[in-house]
Amino acid sequence: MSDLAGIMAVTLIIWIGLFTYVYRLDRKVSRLED
Amino acid sequence: MTRIGTALKWLLLVWMAVVIWAAFMWVPSASGFKGESSRIVFFHVPTAWVATLAFLVSCVASVMYLKRRSPQDDNRAAVSAGLGLVFAVLATVTGAIFAKIMWGAYWNWDPRQTSITILLLIYAAYFALRGAVPDPEKRATLAAVYSILAFVTVPFLMFVVPRIYWSLHPDVITNPDPDNRLDSAHLRVLLASLAGFTGLYVWLYTLGSRIEAIRHRRRQEVL
Repeated sequence: MSDLAGIMAVTLIIWIGLFTYVYRLDRKVSRLED
Repeated sequence: MTRIGTALKWLLLVWMAVVIWAAFMWVPSASGFKGESSRIVFFHVPTAWVATLAFLVSCVASVMYLKRRSPQDDNRAAVSAGLGLVFAVLATVTGAIFAKIMWGAYWNWDPRQTSITILLLIYAAYFALRGAVPDPEKRATLAAVYSILAFVTVPFLMFVVPRIYWSLHPDVITNPDPDNRLDSAHLRVLLASLAGFTGLYVWLYTLGSRIEAIRHRRRQEVL
């Protein structure tokens, strides 16, 4: 794997991790609003 | 969450994943840059743009607070200023990485680096001010006035100062010299990234405002 592909993989992991955290928080907030 | 809202969030996940792939794998490295440093532009420019947008939204919410005196407007101003601060830090960090590759040092006290440091300090002081005033109404009024005054400095520090003084910072979008401007493939990825980051900001801002609304409602119930 080249350096560039490695950096892309790390960036993707960070993005998916951030998305998952915010999405779960969003669902929790929706439940609290109901 | 509505169906459209959920679909938009999943679209954002895919959109940004494609942007990340395109930024590293699809576009070739731009000429005139050392190594692969040009790829940082796809993350540095959108974070700087979102920071500016967030500070503008904070200013507008502050004006609305002074007009309507609604605590929700104060909460929105604080949420947006917080997001602006986070994205400004990200723009500073990505800029420093670019500086290290291009100019050999993370920090050069370039006019852009100096002006964003001043901007970070101005908005850090906004939160220091909010933390120092215990009375909610007084805090909201002072913070609203401060946020409006703070935003007056944003165009000056982001756009005017770096153009008055000689700067190492490249101008890859509005540069009159076509050799030093991004080509169409780079521009397409940059625009897609700008759209993705703006979508992420809208989501985070809406979510932050909803959390603050719940907190406010609970505080009212306790009282």
